[in-house]
Amino acid sequence: MSIRKLVRGTLTLILAGGQGERLYPLTRDRSKPAVPFGGAYRIIDFTLSNCIHSGLRQIYVLTQYKSFSLDQHLQRGWNIFSYEAGEFLYRIPPQHRVGQRWYGGTADAVYQNIYLLQNRKPDHVLILSGDHIYRMDYGKLLGFHADHQGCMSLAAAVVPKEGADQFGILEVDENWKVVGFEEKPANPKTIPGDPDRCLVNMGVYIFDTADLVRELSFDAKQTDSRHDFGKDIIPRLVEQGLVYAYPFRSSQTHEPRYWRDIGTLDSYYEATMDLVSRTPQLDLYDKDWVFRAWQPPVPPFKSVHGFTQDGTLPGIVEDSIVGGGTIISGGRVERSVIGRSVRLNSYCRVTDSILGDNVTVGRYARVRRAIIDKNVVVPEGMEIGFDPVQDAALFTISPGGVVVVPKNMDLSDPGVHL
Amino acid sequence: MSKILIVDDEPHLRLLYETELRRAGFETMTASNAVQGLEFVETMKPDLVILDIRMAGMDGIEAMQRILERDKRIPVILNTAFSSYRDNYLTWAADAYVTKSSDVSELVETVKGVLENKATAQN
Repeated sequence: MSIRKLVRGTLTLILAGGQGERLYPLTRDRSKPAVPFGGAYRIIDFTLSNCIHSGLRQIYVLTQYKSFSLDQHLQRGWNIFSYEAGEFLYRIPPQHRVGQRWYGGTADAVYQNIYLLQNRKPDHVLILSGDHIYRMDYGKLLGFHADHQGCMSLAAAVVPKEGADQFGILEVDENWKVVGFEEKPANPKTIPGDPDRCLVNMGVYIFDTADLVRELSFDAKQTDSRHDFGKDIIPRLVEQGLVYAYPFRSSQTHEPRYWRDIGTLDSYYEATMDLVSRTPQLDLYDKDWVFRAWQPPVPPFKSVHGFTQDGTLPGIVEDSIVGGGTIISGGRVERSVIGRSVRLNSYCRVTDSILGDNVTVGRYARVRRAIIDKNVVVPEGMEIGFDPVQDAALFTISPGGVVVVPKNMDLSDPGVHL
Repeated sequence: MSKILIVDDEPHLRLLYETELRRAGFETMTASNAVQGLEFVETMKPDLVILDIRMAGMDGIEAMQRILERDKRIPVILNTAFSSYRDNYLTWAADAYVTKSSDVSELVETVKGVLENKATAQN
């Protein structure tokens, strides 16, 4: 079957209910898929952009916790579907159709929405997570699935052994049949012949619809199940030899491709900082695969001299990404990702940091190795990222030492400011 | 002796099923609609429920979901004259599916099979 036909017969479900507790306080007021990333995006924009580039335009987004921010973003930024032509993006919060409860595990979230599959009767169901940053043509995964005999195929990434205990670890045979699967083991098995790296489940699943429904219906009746794909469904199917792993790697070099689960503040920080390196692992500027986002009507970025008693002071930007509407007036920005409509005033200096939309940094203020969420006012002369004791008294500090300032804080308020 | 709850809005079928299941050695109770059936599930704790799908008011599919929600261990057999329901994904959580016919032996055999499977699973 052609890829085009496969794509046409596929319904996409995006699981976007992630609480992202380890990303707190960035997830204080929003779910993980709605966390801003890269100056212009929310995390879910990467998955949705992949869908659009893959030709998948029948999408349900399953939402749950703190969904207002995500709802608003999807409505503003992703109202691009032609409903007349059969395309759609619908947001589905728990509807309590199956019992009076919220979504349990990931499998339960899909089970509670089996009526959607009944209504649409797609040939295949693609299940994605709204939490990950990567670029992937799902059509290739569909082609892989059609070429193999499993009832489910999952995408597999290669990651360093360190940190791999946060994922489902895969073992495959020479035909990419999954022969071993362990969910978040303390000591992950590495790839044979590659003792530093592991093959992991990316949370990207394609199922034949009937097989998915059969498995979910069975799982729903198991009293000892946590109703989770990683913990229950996949291990059971692997045992029956019905799962294949699609290697997410370059078709030319076979090198693993970029994929990040932005699970922690430090991984969020590092993935963002990668964007301002000379040759980032994720290319936002590839015209063939533009990541879409909600783009508010803001004027272009501007850097101007600031006026000081000594004359004028240039606004300087080095190795950074800066969003529209931002004005750097005599301030200096180095190796940072700056959101939209940010104001950086004379003599301020922002280094190795991430600033959300509408942040104001006052004169002489200094910010280093910090994540400052949107709408924060950093008053004149304040220093963030220099004195760990002072920072710890006011803000969250990640294990890697990055200072995180939650959104909507006016640090010039005497009650908050030291 | 296993207790079987029969939920069906057709009185003659309730009588027929009761007669045949009792003859096969089961204890039976009946309800004429889903709401009453759910009450009996709560109060009488049946070992198995036979649910008609098309009934006035709440249908058998919804009733099955509610039973599943209360106690996943109670097996449910869906019983309907319309075999097309077999293709309805919402019916797939049932332990078995039997199309209605004048010969009740398939239903009785299915009840026995489902209860045996349940007993095996528990052991």
